[in-house]
Amino acid sequence: MANKSERKRKIAIEEGAIVLGVLIAGFALQFFTGESTSFNSAFLAFPVNVVFIVLLLLILFMKRGTVLSRMASGSLSVILLGAITLATLWMGLVPENNVKISWPFVLLYLLLLINLTAVISVRIKSLSVRSIPFLLNHVGLLVILLAAGPGSADKARYFMRVGEGNTEWRGELLNIVDSSPNKDELKELPLAVELIDFKMEEYPPKLAVINVNTGESMPKGKGVFFEAVPYTQEKIEEWILTVDTFSYKPRYAPSAFVSAKDLMGNSVAQGWVSCGNYFQHFKLLSLTDSLSVAMTFPEPQSFKSQVKVYTPDEKVREGEIRVNHPLRVGSWMIYQHSYDTQRGRDSEWSIFELIYDPWVIPSYIGFILLMIGSITLFWKGGKR
Amino acid sequence: MSWSDFIYFAIGSLSLWTLGVALLYLLKRNRAGNIAIVAGIVLFATFIVGLWIGHGHPPLRTMGETRLWYSFFLVIVGFATYMHWGYKWIMSYSVVVSGVFIFINLLKPEIHTSNLMPALQSLWFVPHVTVYILSYALLGAATIASFIAIKEIKSGNERLIPLIDNLVYIGLGFLLLGMLMGALWAKEAWGDFWSWDPKETWAFITGAAYLVYIHSRIMNYKLKKLLWLLPIAFILLMITWVGVNYLTAAQGSIHVY
Repeated sequence: MANKSERKRKIAIEEGAIVLGVLIAGFALQFFTGESTSFNSAFLAFPVNVVFIVLLLLILFMKRGTVLSRMASGSLSVILLGAITLATLWMGLVPENNVKISWPFVLLYLLLLINLTAVISVRIKSLSVRSIPFLLNHVGLLVILLAAGPGSADKARYFMRVGEGNTEWRGELLNIVDSSPNKDELKELPLAVELIDFKMEEYPPKLAVINVNTGESMPKGKGVFFEAVPYTQEKIEEWILTVDTFSYKPRYAPSAFVSAKDLMGNSVAQGWVSCGNYFQHFKLLSLTDSLSVAMTFPEPQSFKSQVKVYTPDEKVREGEIRVNHPLRVGSWMIYQHSYDTQRGRDSEWSIFELIYDPWVIPSYIGFILLMIGSITLFWKGGKR
Repeated sequence: MSWSDFIYFAIGSLSLWTLGVALLYLLKRNRAGNIAIVAGIVLFATFIVGLWIGHGHPPLRTMGETRLWYSFFLVIVGFATYMHWGYKWIMSYSVVVSGVFIFINLLKPEIHTSNLMPALQSLWFVPHVTVYILSYALLGAATIASFIAIKEIKSGNERLIPLIDNLVYIGLGFLLLGMLMGALWAKEAWGDFWSWDPKETWAFITGAAYLVYIHSRIMNYKLKKLLWLLPIAFILLMITWVGVNYLTAAQGSIHVY
């Protein structure tokens, strides 16, 4: 017995030394190739990643023996998980690091893939009902790690800005957001997007009493904001504010006619309050020398683009794209990314993010397996 | 219903829970205590439902709102654990910790009612956040138990280990579910399952730390040292939950609220 635990300890120390050695090799590689030439996953693009995955999965066909059992060692799993925890801690604590593309991290990822595949390989050689939760969790994780690691090299992402009534088929690799795209860097894509209409809905803007010198809303520390909706009444400090009318015409900024009374019911002030926009100046309603009624900018409730998507096989796909509701066209997904935020609901263009990801189906399979696997943890509950 | 009504429900629920725990210890039969605790849970749930209706969207957006769910789930987890294992102390501890979070909410609400931005308007929103908070509550209970176990293990007493393992497995199960649902949601909203956003990175660290624990348990490592992993993992969890907002490495996170 004592002999056995002594042996286990020796193996764990050996494994620790091997992992440490691999990490040192990774650091050395990082050091000699220089910070700027960190791991670049581009060379893994199809078909390299598929060859890699096939080679890795050969482990599943290895015969039971010392080699396989050493690769599938439980203490190695603990060491690797610990090392991954430390690496991600570095990622989480040090600002502007690039751990995730550094050589040590990539090698660690590789070791984890080998260990995980070997563990599965051992387990499928003695299948039973009891190994189902184990396989769900480990196979699910392996599929996800393969899609997220080597698979990610096939992923492409473009941004596309389309004006209302126009059709665009060129995408830009970088985030263009509000700057005008540099036409030289545009790439022709195998699909074109026509923007039929961009629509935006907003929440009603809010009114508050603010100190015009500090910008702080009243009462101090817990400012009260209320919606600029007709006939709304709100008591803030010693004033009762009533919204008499609310107007929001195209191009113009929202504005509310507000009357302020003191607690005795005497009128203090009344007038238009507006947050202003790209076309119109903002307006305040003064209550005292330093306090005024002000309006916040309306917050977006939803924004969506009505589009037609054309593909080379001359199919036309019509649909609506909004946040959380992308449009799928083959292996492409089109996301609502941005719009002319200066103009808000009057925006005349929309920015889409187009993502090409042939690995999305394996990813979803991995997620489903791992989700069912997590649920099995509930009744497995640590019982062995 | 709005946050200004919280104080009545909070004090009501806390009194019922305290009374319930006291009755559990004082009376031979547990029924009266159980009824008081359940009544407190129902009262607290009423407030959450009322707040949900009052807001017009689920109260899951602000820090204060996540604390509200935490206080709620912690008592439920404590109660379920006590019912299953018969440990009264876990019930009393969870009431104390839940009370701390209730008081934080009363004193420092951080409850600015805000409009629900388009990115949060998703079916995944409610399950993603509640499952996480539930997992935090379970792992919180495991941490409480681990402190007692660390003391007891010195005299060779391992009675709490099955309970701890149970809580960690279920807590980790929920943690993984929260993470996976978040990833599926992220795919719909931003096009990537995972983008190493600071909150994601820390959620990963937390999950990895608990994975180290359960794999070490399978390897039967010495409990005396191993048990310390649980308080450490819980510190990582707290950084994920609240600490991320203050980290310099986390500026520009999409999860800051």
